[in-house]
Amino acid sequence: MKHFTKMAAAALIAGVTAGAAMAQELYAPNLAYRTGPFAATGIPLMNGQADYLTMLNARDGGVGGIPVNAEECETGYSTEKGVECYEKTKGKAIVTQPWSTGITLQVLPKTNVDMIPILAPGYGFSPMADGKVFQWAFNTPSGYWDAADMIIQYLSGQGDLKGKKIAFLHLDHPYGKEPLPLLEAKSGAMGFELVPIPVGLKEMQNQSAQWLQIRRERPDYVVMWGWGAMNAGAITEAVKTKFPMENMIGVWWSGHDADLAIVGDAGKGYKSISWSFPNADAPVMADIKKHVVDAGLSKSNETEMQGVFYSRGIVISAILAEGIAAAQAEYDTAEISAEQLRWGLENINMTEERIKELGLEGMVPPFATSCSNHTGHSGGWMLEWDGAQFVKVSDHLKPDTSGYAELINTKAAEYAEANAPWPTNDACEG
Amino acid sequence: MLYRTAGQFKTSYEADQALFPVKQDAFLLGIIMLFALVIFPLTASEFAFQTMLIPVMIYALAALGLNILTGFAGQLSLGTGAFMGVGAYACYKMVTLMPWMNPIVAILLSGFFSAGVGVMFGIPSLRIKGFYLAIATLAAQFFLVWLFEKWAWLYNYNASGAIQVPNLDIFGVYVTGPQADSMVQYYVVLGIVALMTMLCINLTRGTLGRTWKATRDMDIAAELIGINLMKSKLTAFAISSYIVGVAGALYVFMWKGAAEPNLFDIPLSFQVLFIAIIGGLGSVLGNYLGAILIVGLPVVLNLLPGALGLSISSAMVEHLNIMIVGSLIVFFLIVEPHGLNQLWRLIREKLIIWPFPH
Repeated sequence: MKHFTKMAAAALIAGVTAGAAMAQELYAPNLAYRTGPFAATGIPLMNGQADYLTMLNARDGGVGGIPVNAEECETGYSTEKGVECYEKTKGKAIVTQPWSTGITLQVLPKTNVDMIPILAPGYGFSPMADGKVFQWAFNTPSGYWDAADMIIQYLSGQGDLKGKKIAFLHLDHPYGKEPLPLLEAKSGAMGFELVPIPVGLKEMQNQSAQWLQIRRERPDYVVMWGWGAMNAGAITEAVKTKFPMENMIGVWWSGHDADLAIVGDAGKGYKSISWSFPNADAPVMADIKKHVVDAGLSKSNETEMQGVFYSRGIVISAILAEGIAAAQAEYDTAEISAEQLRWGLENINMTEERIKELGLEGMVPPFATSCSNHTGHSGGWMLEWDGAQFVKVSDHLKPDTSGYAELINTKAAEYAEANAPWPTNDACEG
Repeated sequence: MLYRTAGQFKTSYEADQALFPVKQDAFLLGIIMLFALVIFPLTASEFAFQTMLIPVMIYALAALGLNILTGFAGQLSLGTGAFMGVGAYACYKMVTLMPWMNPIVAILLSGFFSAGVGVMFGIPSLRIKGFYLAIATLAAQFFLVWLFEKWAWLYNYNASGAIQVPNLDIFGVYVTGPQADSMVQYYVVLGIVALMTMLCINLTRGTLGRTWKATRDMDIAAELIGINLMKSKLTAFAISSYIVGVAGALYVFMWKGAAEPNLFDIPLSFQVLFIAIIGGLGSVLGNYLGAILIVGLPVVLNLLPGALGLSISSAMVEHLNIMIVGSLIVFFLIVEPHGLNQLWRLIREKLIIWPFPH
């Protein structure tokens, strides 16, 4: 009996300490997609994200001395599973990372009720930049309108766009339609002709009709907003129809190394705007190698780790970690809540020095967020495929946000009105 | 023993024709209703409402609608997803054009739009049959989803091409939109689904149901005994599409909260068709059993490793899940090719004669 009492006491203590240990972590779930039709692009991103946080946990014991639990919940990019994952994790999560436009659309209206920040780096609804209306949503460091603006800026740097013709090859889906309002405004202001060419979800792999149209229209440039199988489809079609690759530019989600590796040298000159860049010599990569890869904790491999998407995953996790750190400093507690993290994400200041400190040199441009600016408008670089990898071919490009600040405000206001009652952050100045 | 029917005498035609001639059936339904009305809402978490209770009922209703057409009237349809979309978009247009409208009324009215569209695409069924009809309904599927994408008026010229459910209330209680409480939505869904189920049970037992079954079993014979095939087939299309449309409106308004056109694409049609087939064509109960298997079970399976304390990566869980659910579908169809409903019928039959099987 005595023995039993001891055992019970031991079990109780173990249970209590385990419970306490469980509480000592920051739960930042990731709605990952390592399965399904978009897995090829999802896996490197998820690996990058996971590896960075694993490295922080191993090297510094997490952020502010408290480990980050970046548990993955598999969605397979399906909206239904995404909502399931959101509901499953929202109880104790301090952030949600929806990872698909469809899931973002569903989760966005709920955030005001559930009070959990959405971190959607480089995707989602562009008007989310208006932090006063979208208190809980963050598309740091750059939104789609920034991307479109920078691409047009870059093209006009190559010569006056007046009278030129730009084909806009995009996925016929909320994601692909996102930059249209901005491109239309630009085409009116700068005098180029915009030819939107939608690619249906079922035609992603076979775009012969779209490329026939491109051949007929003879555009000077093709701007691409593709995702998943559509990118590889478009690039191979472009090679097949002998479209000059240097005149084809994709958004950051259309710059996946594996898509271009298929065509290799024939893809030389293809460009993609990006707010992240793989820098194999950055200290963070060495740390990841030491603490994660050598410890056998990484699911990634050598080739993947040199790619753009893996490094983008690292940058995304770094942004999240910065948000957490900012909140911890402000509220003087390691175990921050979702509400506090929201403040943290609103007050990220990624200066050149801070980027160096984090060991992310050359991997992300400097940016800062505020309560009214949830994007940060970091700008980015134009990357070009040299036949084997992406290289930077431009200086740090910055979007001219003044051109569409008005558009952001009207669209955000429209959204708030359609979803009334929609509380806005009126305390925010500036 | 539990299901012994000895001693339950029917003394009138009414009693013999009752919905539940066997007392135990009524008792069982009472227990289920007790769970649905009281115990689930009291104990369920937000997660359970959003991933199991509400979707299972909505999918069951969609499958019930399809079952009227395919199971009872014998007209194969692959356009269910698109008809659900018609209901959803109709409901969205109604509540945005007329914000004063009661959302439940809007949901019930939206079924009429899909019924109209359903009848239109059902007209070819007078000439073509079987697989050929399936292809014709497939055309409806492609055409309607294309229409949802291209007709900007349908989604109020929203830049992203998606529809967002607004916050709507009835007497100050939010019923739809992000402000709505899951429990309120659950009761609304339960009420509508129960109403539709009652309607279907009675319809399929009555003249119309018998007409449909005759059409299904042999249309030439049916015509020879004086059944108007046009009327029979078109009413099946109309009633089926009405129910499917209401299910579509519930799907977006009571559960999803937002929808893009490709949500209503062919995978949704197939999912509903699978529920109907696995549940059992030509049954009402089967739709619920099928929906529990196809919609509810994967969610439970996903939770299992965590509950057992196993640490398996979530991608692996997903893969295992697909395999388990897939093999269960095969298993059930081998054990009982006529679906889960038939399986239950056999179990019940055996229980009634137990312990003296002949």
